[in-house]
Amino acid sequence: MINHDLPAISLRNVVKTFGSTRALDGLDLEVATGEVHGYLGPNGAGKSVTIRTLLGLLRQDSGEVRLLGSDPWRDAVALHRRLAYVPGDVSLWPNLSGGEIIDYFARLRGDVDKTKRNDLIERFELDPRKKAGTYSKGNRQKVALVVALSSDAELLLLDEPTAGLDPLMETVFQDCILGVAAEGRTVLMSSHILAEVEKLCDRVTIIRLGVAVQRGSLDELRTTTRTAITVATERPIGGLEAVEGVSAVRPDGASLSFEVDNDALGAVMSHLAGFGIRSLISQPPTLEELFLREYDDDLRLVNHDPTP
Amino acid sequence: MDVVATPTPTQPQPLAGFGHIFRFMARRDRLRAPIWVVSIVGLFATSVASVVGLYSTPAELQEYADIAGVDAALKAIAGPGYGLDNPTQGAVVMNETLLYTFIGIALMCMFSIIRHTRAEEETDRAELVRAASVGRLATLTAACLWVALIDGVVALGIVMSLLAFGLPVEGTVAFGLAAWGIGLVFIGVAATTAQVASSARAATAGAGGVLGVSFILRAVGDLGTGWMTWLSPLGWAQSIRAFADERWWVLAPIGFAAVVLVGAGVALSSKRDLGAGLLRQRPGPEEASPGLATPLAMAARQQRTSLISWTLGIAFIGFFFGIVADEADQLLENETIAEFYSQAGTGTPTEAFLATTVLMVALIASGFTVSTVLRLRAEESAGRAAAVMATPVSRYRWASSYLIVSVVGTVVVMAVSGLAIGVGYGLQLGDTDQLLPVLGAALAIVPALLVLAAFAVALIGLRPSLASLAWLGVVVSATVGLLAETLDLPQWSRNLSPFEHVPALPAASLEVFPLVMLLLVAAGITAVGLVAMRRRDVG
Repeated sequence: MINHDLPAISLRNVVKTFGSTRALDGLDLEVATGEVHGYLGPNGAGKSVTIRTLLGLLRQDSGEVRLLGSDPWRDAVALHRRLAYVPGDVSLWPNLSGGEIIDYFARLRGDVDKTKRNDLIERFELDPRKKAGTYSKGNRQKVALVVALSSDAELLLLDEPTAGLDPLMETVFQDCILGVAAEGRTVLMSSHILAEVEKLCDRVTIIRLGVAVQRGSLDELRTTTRTAITVATERPIGGLEAVEGVSAVRPDGASLSFEVDNDALGAVMSHLAGFGIRSLISQPPTLEELFLREYDDDLRLVNHDPTP
Repeated sequence: MDVVATPTPTQPQPLAGFGHIFRFMARRDRLRAPIWVVSIVGLFATSVASVVGLYSTPAELQEYADIAGVDAALKAIAGPGYGLDNPTQGAVVMNETLLYTFIGIALMCMFSIIRHTRAEEETDRAELVRAASVGRLATLTAACLWVALIDGVVALGIVMSLLAFGLPVEGTVAFGLAAWGIGLVFIGVAATTAQVASSARAATAGAGGVLGVSFILRAVGDLGTGWMTWLSPLGWAQSIRAFADERWWVLAPIGFAAVVLVGAGVALSSKRDLGAGLLRQRPGPEEASPGLATPLAMAARQQRTSLISWTLGIAFIGFFFGIVADEADQLLENETIAEFYSQAGTGTPTEAFLATTVLMVALIASGFTVSTVLRLRAEESAGRAAAVMATPVSRYRWASSYLIVSVVGTVVVMAVSGLAIGVGYGLQLGDTDQLLPVLGAALAIVPALLVLAAFAVALIGLRPSLASLAWLGVVVSATVGLLAETLDLPQWSRNLSPFEHVPALPAASLEVFPLVMLLLVAAGITAVGLVAMRRRDVG
């Protein structure tokens, strides 16, 4: 009954305020059915608020939220049969064992797959007999992951699911998500781990101060941003700063380094050609640079600053 | 030749960071501590004013002494009546106010200690604090000193109230020192249970248990078995005999107990890991039992131990009061006593006493009723509510879980306690006539308790951040129920207590109408709370 034409998640111009803070400030987000979507942004950008709004725990002040074709505030209970959620900060009943809590949530969800459950407990190396009060952050995270991954939910909402996991367990998690994706189920996951995002996500949305500032596949994001260029020419280059889209111009030995918006590359090349290009190195931005740029307001202002 | 630097010998600094932690506790308590102090001292001063006003002539004092010196029930809840053979205002004040004031102080001290030590460890904050350059013992010692300071301020307030009403200086000083001392003892009790118990709740339950046993031991002692009084810190505090030929040496065992208990807490705390009690938690089952499949089952599971301890504790107190109830008969001819119980209705003194006992038991049970509903808020604050509501569980279903446990648990507590009172009474007299009437009385008072539960639900729905104000309902009910006469409260304020509208069975006759009204009010308030909860954010 999965409808592939309809987006699994769609938020349009969503605003959510807490007192005077605007946690979501006109947010647009769309996640297609069957994709693994990365949801990135600095701390406090509004990622968890988005996910809690999608769960119908928070109600937006304005804008439209659709989840699997319904309104998550009004149809919360019916929708929750079809999704699984891993909170960012997993809090468990300290006097119950991990196994008891896993079973409790599975029964609340209504689908208990014992084989899957035991398999996941084994893969995540979780001791289900230990009381949850004695679990570390990573182990509490594993409990929530076992609950979510052992379900057959068509949509997984994961709020920083690997925070607290060791690298080995992270690999297990990634395998599980690849399996989920292969079954055509939809995943929305927030994360700070770029390697993980790069490995798992078909598309990403970057949110800052409650607004989506970038969206697309990682390749698209790379091409819509800037390229770093180092060039050596026969004659000194003049007037480069005046070319639209060029920034951070600085001498680099006998050469000149600068950054350029990708859609201004053509104009820059014709400008440079007039000075006799001897060598030219162009570097696409690394993923990390890409994120840092979107995350950090100040950094971006510095880069756009036309004065040397 | 290489010179190897001698490593500076590292000294263990168990108290490092003490000053910072102390100031931080003061900052966290900037609202709580003044509320405790003002409530305890304010209630005390009001009571003193009322006693001083009611009993000023020798004749009035003698009249009071005639009752309090012989009435077993009064002895059990007020004390042995030191100085009443030659009654002074001071002696009457002590007899009327000392015990409940000291219970208030003990509660303040144990709640505060556990809040700053064990409860704090269950959050992630304590780890952050301990990871800073903070000594192993700094938190516990800072907590003890900080709470001892609040306790000292309360004692000072008590001294000033007594002096303000012109009571003798010597007795005032003894009263004040006893007040400070009983607080110190319970600081020690809580500092110790905080180390032994495996969770903050268990630590609170342990310290509360010590307070309950102290109360009962001294009650039994005051009724005749004198040596049992000496097993109870509350008994010691009374035995200073403020205003009744003071026995100063009794301060010695109080101080000694406080020092030993705090010392034990400190010693034990260096023997355990952060967050773990000395009593280890056993591993749990690998799979949940088949029943654990609904929020209601989870709530029942979480409150199981709480329900059992409340039931046993309250039933024990009820049983004990049932045993002494027949003494009320011997005072049949005393007009003043009849007046004392006149609040209760028109029955015999025994019936009036039983009605008062049922009310007292219900007031204690309200602690279970309200705390169980408030678990909803705790679940929400911890983030577990959101995780449950992210599954196909509606908010109503989630909210009704602890509410149903509270309602059913309250009925259980009251039924068992009613039976215990009746059985205690029956054993003493060898007849079972009162068994069913008392059971009926205990059940008839349940609607009033449900109003308190509904009030808590409404707060959680409408103003979750103020949920703990639900205790206000308990405080108002207890003040009206126990102190209405002493404080000479006007009728409109008495009507604020739901218990005021319950017929005082078995002394009065059963009226169904007010009970139905209380149930309707409870249902209405609950509905408001639930609807509000459906409409607000869960956070």
